[in-house]
Amino acid sequence: MSRPRPSRWRSAAVNIGIVAALLFAASFLPPDTSLADRQRAGVIKLCVPPSFPPLVTSDPSAPGYDIELGQALAAELGLRLAVNTVPSIGRDYNPRNWSLTRAQCDLVGGGVADSVQTRSFMQTLPTQTQTGWIGISRTGAMPAAGSVVAVLPGTSGLSRVTLSSWLRARNYRGKLVRDTKELAQALTSGEASAVITERFLAAGLELDERQYQSFWLDEPQFEGFPMALGLWKGDQTFKSAVAAAFETIERSGRAAQLRERYGIDAEPQ
Amino acid sequence: MEPMMLLRGLYAIWLREITRATRDRAQLIGGVSRPLIWLLILGVGLNPYFRGEVYGEVRFVIPYTYLQFLFPAVIVLNIMYTSIQFAVSVIWDREFGFLREVLVSPLPRPLILLGKVLGGSTIATLHGSLVLILARFADVTLSLSQMFTALGLMFVLAFGLTSFGVILAARVRSFEGFGVFSNTIILPLYFTSSSVFPLDPALTRTQMVTAYPEWLVFLVQINPITYAVDMLRGVLIGFNQFPPGYGPAVIFGMAALFFVVALIDFGRS
Repeated sequence: MSRPRPSRWRSAAVNIGIVAALLFAASFLPPDTSLADRQRAGVIKLCVPPSFPPLVTSDPSAPGYDIELGQALAAELGLRLAVNTVPSIGRDYNPRNWSLTRAQCDLVGGGVADSVQTRSFMQTLPTQTQTGWIGISRTGAMPAAGSVVAVLPGTSGLSRVTLSSWLRARNYRGKLVRDTKELAQALTSGEASAVITERFLAAGLELDERQYQSFWLDEPQFEGFPMALGLWKGDQTFKSAVAAAFETIERSGRAAQLRERYGIDAEPQ
Repeated sequence: MEPMMLLRGLYAIWLREITRATRDRAQLIGGVSRPLIWLLILGVGLNPYFRGEVYGEVRFVIPYTYLQFLFPAVIVLNIMYTSIQFAVSVIWDREFGFLREVLVSPLPRPLILLGKVLGGSTIATLHGSLVLILARFADVTLSLSQMFTALGLMFVLAFGLTSFGVILAARVRSFEGFGVFSNTIILPLYFTSSSVFPLDPALTRTQMVTAYPEWLVFLVQINPITYAVDMLRGVLIGFNQFPPGYGPAVIFGMAALFFVVALIDFGRS
């Protein structure tokens, strides 16, 4: 009796199987030491601005969504979270002047938008929160053409060029302000008929809700951005571990609880 | 000849190329070693020079990590090597008389060439898809639709380059000559395709000030492989340096043009 002839594909399948298995095994090699370094140190350093409610607050009992999320991520990774408050964050349009370095921060929170501009400098981990331009006025709508509109662009990466073109096209007289105090003052003193700022900065304004109403600028050119935690570009093993930890937290419902606690999902009032 | 007979003839030629290539362990080892060298060694080795150190500092402004940026280019490199080296099979068949036997068969010459080119393209696509196994290592997340789109485009690219290999084979008389010839074509084409460095003066302002000599920009822009790499980057990591339509237009054009020229050359042989 003759032996059955082996399939013509057997040899090919064996060869391809061997090389595919080799590449698959290689894909598990760690491409860098970023996670191992943090594990050795036992701590994750989160850099945040002094205040960016509700993502970062000065209230120790409710320190902010990004900080509590950072604590949950660190716990999930078996590490400790050290919050590093950096007053320079947000003070300048150019993030380079914030002087955030690898030595200071492993993660950056409190107002990082997941935009192309941010991703040029950092990798991002979206935190299921959304930002965009918010307008505030007495009527809950933009005033008539020719009115003064105070603008506080913020630092989260929304396009100021698009906003400025939009204001010019509608003949508004734009007035740039430096901080939330100046913004509120411009509105309450009547110097500006409306103000425009970034969503989370608007949430931190102390205005009488009965007198002023906020509204989204939802024209097609105003792209909203998800907010994120920033991680250093190239720290791939650390980013993968943090992303996996975030997924676990999200699946367990803890992240949703945090968002509910800080009113993150709520529309602006 | 009846259409079914023609199809069976086409299948037989395609199958011969597939069987020969998949049983050739040396060729498969080449298909594995290139991604290992380029992604694991070069990508990981250069990663620290492209990672972020200071937030806002301009180093590598592409909104992806260096490994992610390199990943699609390594796929194209694997396809280029396998497709152009396919010419060796044509020279081999010519040297050892197999081609003569096939040419005297009742199959029309265009169909013989199509069978050979389809076989070479299938193998080149297989070698390109081996790199996809390393997606996890490069931190590239792929959906099924991305994978299938990429595989389709990789096949069209492979078809064009395999036809180009046939054109080369018609002009080279020895194996030794072809080895030198192919390396002087593949490596310059690869290095001037924006494969290992980003080149897009229109991308961002920071990118614009990154100076490249004009002659290098010119070489990159006239190199068709640039657009093939850019097309795969668009599909796999969502990043295009050039208008997204350029890549498919170039590879489909290349496939049609090179196949017609290969047909003319093959008819003369």
